[in-house]
Amino acid sequence: MKRNRAIAVGLTTLVAAAGLTACSAGDEGSDGPVTITIMEYQQTRIDIVESLIPGFEAEMKEQGRDINVELIADQLNDEQFKTKITQQFIAGEAPDVIDMGDSLVPGFAGAGYLAPLDEYLDDWDGWDHWYPQFKDASVRQDGQIYSLLNTSGVLNLFYREDVLTDLGVETSQPQTWDELIDRLVEVRDATGDTPIVLPAGSAWGGGTWNEGFQPLLGGTDQDYYDPETGRWDLESPGWEAVFDLYADLAEEDLLPVQDLLNPNPWQPTKYEKFPAGEIQVAAQGTWGWKFDWGPEGATPIPDLTEKVSTWQFPGLRDGDDPFGWLNLGGVYTIPESSEHKEEAMLLMQYLTTGTPLAEQLVASGAASPRDDITDVAPYADEPELLQAGVDQETSVFVPTGDGSDQIAQAVASATELILTGDADGQEAYEAFVADATELLGPNLVKE
Amino acid sequence: MTSTLDAPVSAAATRPLPKRRRQRNGPLIALLLGPSVVLITLFIVLPAVYSIYLSLTNTQLTGFAARDPQFVGLDNFAYLLTNGDFLNSLGQTATFTFFSAIIGQTVLGMVAAILLSRPWLRGKGLFGAAVLMPMIVPEVVASLAWASVLSNNSEGTLNRLTGLFGADPTDWLQVVPLTSIIIVNIWRGVAFAMIMFQAALEDVPAELIEAARIDGASALQVFRHVTLPLIRGPVFLYLLLTTISTVGVFGLVYFLTQGGPGGQTRIAAIYIYERALQFSQIGIGSAASIILLVIVLILGIVYVRLAKVEV
Repeated sequence: MKRNRAIAVGLTTLVAAAGLTACSAGDEGSDGPVTITIMEYQQTRIDIVESLIPGFEAEMKEQGRDINVELIADQLNDEQFKTKITQQFIAGEAPDVIDMGDSLVPGFAGAGYLAPLDEYLDDWDGWDHWYPQFKDASVRQDGQIYSLLNTSGVLNLFYREDVLTDLGVETSQPQTWDELIDRLVEVRDATGDTPIVLPAGSAWGGGTWNEGFQPLLGGTDQDYYDPETGRWDLESPGWEAVFDLYADLAEEDLLPVQDLLNPNPWQPTKYEKFPAGEIQVAAQGTWGWKFDWGPEGATPIPDLTEKVSTWQFPGLRDGDDPFGWLNLGGVYTIPESSEHKEEAMLLMQYLTTGTPLAEQLVASGAASPRDDITDVAPYADEPELLQAGVDQETSVFVPTGDGSDQIAQAVASATELILTGDADGQEAYEAFVADATELLGPNLVKE
Repeated sequence: MTSTLDAPVSAAATRPLPKRRRQRNGPLIALLLGPSVVLITLFIVLPAVYSIYLSLTNTQLTGFAARDPQFVGLDNFAYLLTNGDFLNSLGQTATFTFFSAIIGQTVLGMVAAILLSRPWLRGKGLFGAAVLMPMIVPEVVASLAWASVLSNNSEGTLNRLTGLFGADPTDWLQVVPLTSIIIVNIWRGVAFAMIMFQAALEDVPAELIEAARIDGASALQVFRHVTLPLIRGPVFLYLLLTTISTVGVFGLVYFLTQGGPGGQTRIAAIYIYERALQFSQIGIGSAASIILLVIVLILGIVYVRLAKVEV
């Protein structure tokens, strides 16, 4: 019995000692170097940020600060990233700096996972160089700023100018969707293709809302969300008009319905058929010039700028003008649980200033959210990106807040009903209203 | 005459240990069982209890609602049991489980086990290895392999085969998505069935089979009236295990179809994942998990009851 007790005591001591050793290994002296972590989940971003870290560490050394940066490179798609980072927020284990899509910020900020940045930004000269529309769009519904934009751009319709010209189809800016649909029908009849891809359905995830439905909605109706009350107006007239548009496109066999219903629908549409000229028009952000179809992109299109051009989204309802949709691309954020917020903010400031920012913009294919980058190489050598930067000023944007995740979910489900042929535009709209009302709850829906 | 065929239990095994010996072994038993108890409590019992708690709240992972979850009683359960999407996912889970696990794996596993028990069969090692292979392969690799087999272009293995007969390439995961994942799951699980049934068949006394043959019973009659009643226990144990594991299948289906197209393969595990993690409604996701757990428990009790062998 004594021997058993001795074994038990010995084991307990061993486990306790190991635990204490493990705990102490993570401690850093208060005067020693500080290590902060930054998470990137797209290969392009991983590569560029990795190359910029030594410059930041060197600059900090010059200022007498010993800050080391550890890059957490985890290649994930948007949905996987959202799932993973949510778990890390809840566990209090999120990295000190997180690079994420702006569309995720309202949900994470609302939940209290992100640290407000207002104080840091107020004390930083660089903040004065952000375009006013981005500063305004960064303010969340509680009046605070939780993110620092690192890439922006404009969502437009990218089209295969070479293919349309060969087919004898008009390539000037279509003023209305009716006009564009007539052209798409011409293409369909001549080629047998489904000529336009707009993100739709559940398989595209949050992109259905962020990159497809919301731009179309915002171009015809800017009253669907009230930032003052934080409520969604589900009876605003634009909703049904957009569902009708999706239904018309599906009914006319203009949308690649089968591809949109499959997992990873961007793969066959944007990465195979558009580069092959078998889909001729695609809703796409500025990043298409680099990230998707550029020489180093996912599926390069040779002589891209000669083959591909852009239209603004045509007007949807009577009186609407063509428009581009302002895209708040990626943002840097700091979790509330970070113990190194000040150092994290220094890294974010470094990455969104001068050459480091210019290099990121070119790598990602994005326009600048700042007004003092246009003459900084390599961004200064990219005419398409510079043009997108100019277009940002006239592009449409409707800031939204809490509930955008639920709206995205309801829109994905309702557009999927159209794709599967289970609903026309009005039925899809009715299904959307029922779904969104239930998901948002009474506090987020305008009565 | 009715007699119950239970394994004989030795008197020594049931005799309680002397009090002194039990006291002497107490600390050692506690030391040996302690870590397991702690781990099971930490990683199974507590999460399950927490999941029950979450199912009674409107907890969300994102948005302002995440800051202040409220107790909502049985609202989540009422919502789910009247929600078309959830009920559809239960229906799809039932179809998936019935055809892939209860019919497919069990029948094919039994056939494979019987074939391997035949003395005249040549190449048993090769046959056994071929059947075992799907079980050994990691789930992701298996999914990748089947994604390639069922690929919608002309390079897909199945399309190459059908192409030999002049058929156009078919997008199998679009046209017959549920059937496709049922076949994949049968392929993956048949090995485990075969192993279990093979072990059970080895325990069937050869004399009984020979006696039945001498009495003029056909091979089918021998299997139906002699072999099957004797291996009923293992068969129901297998059905219990495969039902539990198939109801919980996630990775294979998520990789191949992500629940699509149009929700046609949105089995319960995919529905729960979407609700709890993609849409951040952890309260509703937990309630759906609890409902699924109760259904599996009921099925388990039914199997256990049916497994009692009486001849």
